Amino acid sequence: MSVDAKQARQRRKFWGGFGYHAFGIGAALFFFAPFAWTGLASLRTGTEAQQPPLPPWPTHGVSFDTYAVLNTFGAGVWQHVFNSTIVALATVVLTVIVSLLAGYGFSRYRFPLKNVFFVLIIATLMIPFQSILTPLFIILAKLGLNNSLVGLVLVYVTLQLPFSVFMMRNAFDAVPREIEEAARIDGARDLKLLIRVLLPLVMPGVATVAIFAFLNSWNEFLAALILLSDNEKYTLPVLMTAVRAGRLGAINWGAVQAGVMVMTIPCLAVFLILQRYYMRGLMAGAVK
Amino acid sequence: MTDGMRLRQVRKSFGPIEVIHGVDLVVGEGEFVVFVGPSGCGKSTLLRMIAGLEEVSDGDIEIGGKDVTDLDPSQRGIAMVFQSYALYPHMSVRENLGFGLSMANVPKAEIAVQVDAAAKILKIEPLLDRRPGQLSGGQRQRVAIGRAIVRKPQVFLFDEPLSNLDAELRVSMRIEIARLHRELGNTMVYVTHDQTEAMTLADKIVVLRDGVIEQVGTPREVYEHPANTFVAGFIGSPRMNLLDAAGQGAGKVLAAGAEIDVPTIAAAGSGKVTVGLRPEHLVLTASAPGTLKATVDFFEYLGGTRYLYCQLPDGQSLVAEQRDGDDLAAGETVHFTWKPKDLRLFNPQGLKLV
Repeated sequence: MSVDAKQARQRRKFWGGFGYHAFGIGAALFFFAPFAWTGLASLRTGTEAQQPPLPPWPTHGVSFDTYAVLNTFGAGVWQHVFNSTIVALATVVLTVIVSLLAGYGFSRYRFPLKNVFFVLIIATLMIPFQSILTPLFIILAKLGLNNSLVGLVLVYVTLQLPFSVFMMRNAFDAVPREIEEAARIDGARDLKLLIRVLLPLVMPGVATVAIFAFLNSWNEFLAALILLSDNEKYTLPVLMTAVRAGRLGAINWGAVQAGVMVMTIPCLAVFLILQRYYMRGLMAGAVK
Repeated sequence: MTDGMRLRQVRKSFGPIEVIHGVDLVVGEGEFVVFVGPSGCGKSTLLRMIAGLEEVSDGDIEIGGKDVTDLDPSQRGIAMVFQSYALYPHMSVRENLGFGLSMANVPKAEIAVQVDAAAKILKIEPLLDRRPGQLSGGQRQRVAIGRAIVRKPQVFLFDEPLSNLDAELRVSMRIEIARLHRELGNTMVYVTHDQTEAMTLADKIVVLRDGVIEQVGTPREVYEHPANTFVAGFIGSPRMNLLDAAGQGAGKVLAAGAEIDVPTIAAAGSGKVTVGLRPEHLVLTASAPGTLKATVDFFEYLGGTRYLYCQLPDGQSLVAEQRDGDDLAAGETVHFTWKPKDLRLFNPQGLKLV
């Protein structure tokens, strides 16, 4: 091959690779920009936070004033972070336990009307939950669970279950039956079988269910607003509307930015920790 | 001989469909029994019933003199090796081997001793800390067998253990399993559709069809004295030639235009019969009375052997196996003879005529 042809090919390769990476970096920046903007803006000093938003970064030194202001809303930001954490974690734990058992049952046991029940569960996804908020409110009131975090957790778990059961059934369907049979011959039964042998194999499904349950319950607003009435029981999204509504007509944009950061960081952390499993989970069942 | 295992009128139904129709079988302790049969004959179902993975609809199963029909798989004194290996992918080989013992609450030190012993027998010591995903097919199968050994079962169950391996590995694992049986001396029940495995490994072959045992016997019995036309046709490759024939009174039958002597049968009567001749028993000869005349359709040269696919004058086909001799062209006319002791005769119901 001539030197010219070789150089031409290398040039083509370089520009091809350059375009590929440039586009990738551009797209990544595009998605990262709002987050960086918010993060930087939340670090501006108190007076600066009231200024027009350009430039978005702090010009008079970094400060955590906005977070201090955020803490003056509601019952203090820690109380609301605590509420949200309790609700999200309880939702995750309950959803995982119930959908693990239900998914196992739907995948492995034969019982009458199995497919009808399964379709019914999936069909509930078609009902917008806003439309059943009123009956939910009445039911919780009758149970004495209105204005309580426990009631809110139960509502979130219920809303989360159709998708989760579907996900876990797929995960269990992907586990070869022989592995379970080998474990039964080895003497593993019932819960031991489920926890020691099957749980590690459906971990991708569990991670997916956990991420969705966490994100949805952490960010859920409408049900929390309607079902909770005590200031100190509000979850973060409800607090955020109070911050966003401002005081006496004046909105503290710095506090809003700080609130957004407080709400986003746990979601990012959960996603980053579980993403390895999550990616595999989305693919489970796609290819036999 | 004590009983390794005994099945008594074992039946299995899935809903209204019965798939195992009352199987009776006695397996002596230390015997190597192979279940063979075409796919769908119920051999795997029967094995799974012995393992306790399928419920027994009727009848009972004894292992080592104890009725295990309603016991949990782990309490039957069995261990099973699956076709797909069924190793636990999230555990190391060591944990895979020791899992059964840890479920039975055996102390850790004891488990380590047992696992090392099993790993030594199977020569998988260097693999103990790997995961199943990092092993080749043959290594995985060794681990699966190791997991069975560690349980120290009375009966080993193998469900087509070699069918996922390539041809070369299959041969070496086959020898490995035979060696294992000699060393351990346990009762083994082995399901396969591979005749070579069945013939080489078995002390006793059980031929199944449609959930019924067609014949039980040593490989030699099953091959040389098939109880019926099904077994005759199923065991052996290429299969036994089964020719429609008509009885011609005492000691003679008429098949494909040739009058054949059957001196071993006192009276074949005048009804229809089936003549069975193994391909390797057919010898090329000159035209003579009592020989079969045939036209060559295809000639296959396989090195050590050659197969002649022929057509008889009445349209029936015939396969012959030759050890030597010249190539034959399609369309040539040949004549076959055989030793009288090699000829088998079956009645119209397909049963062996004695």
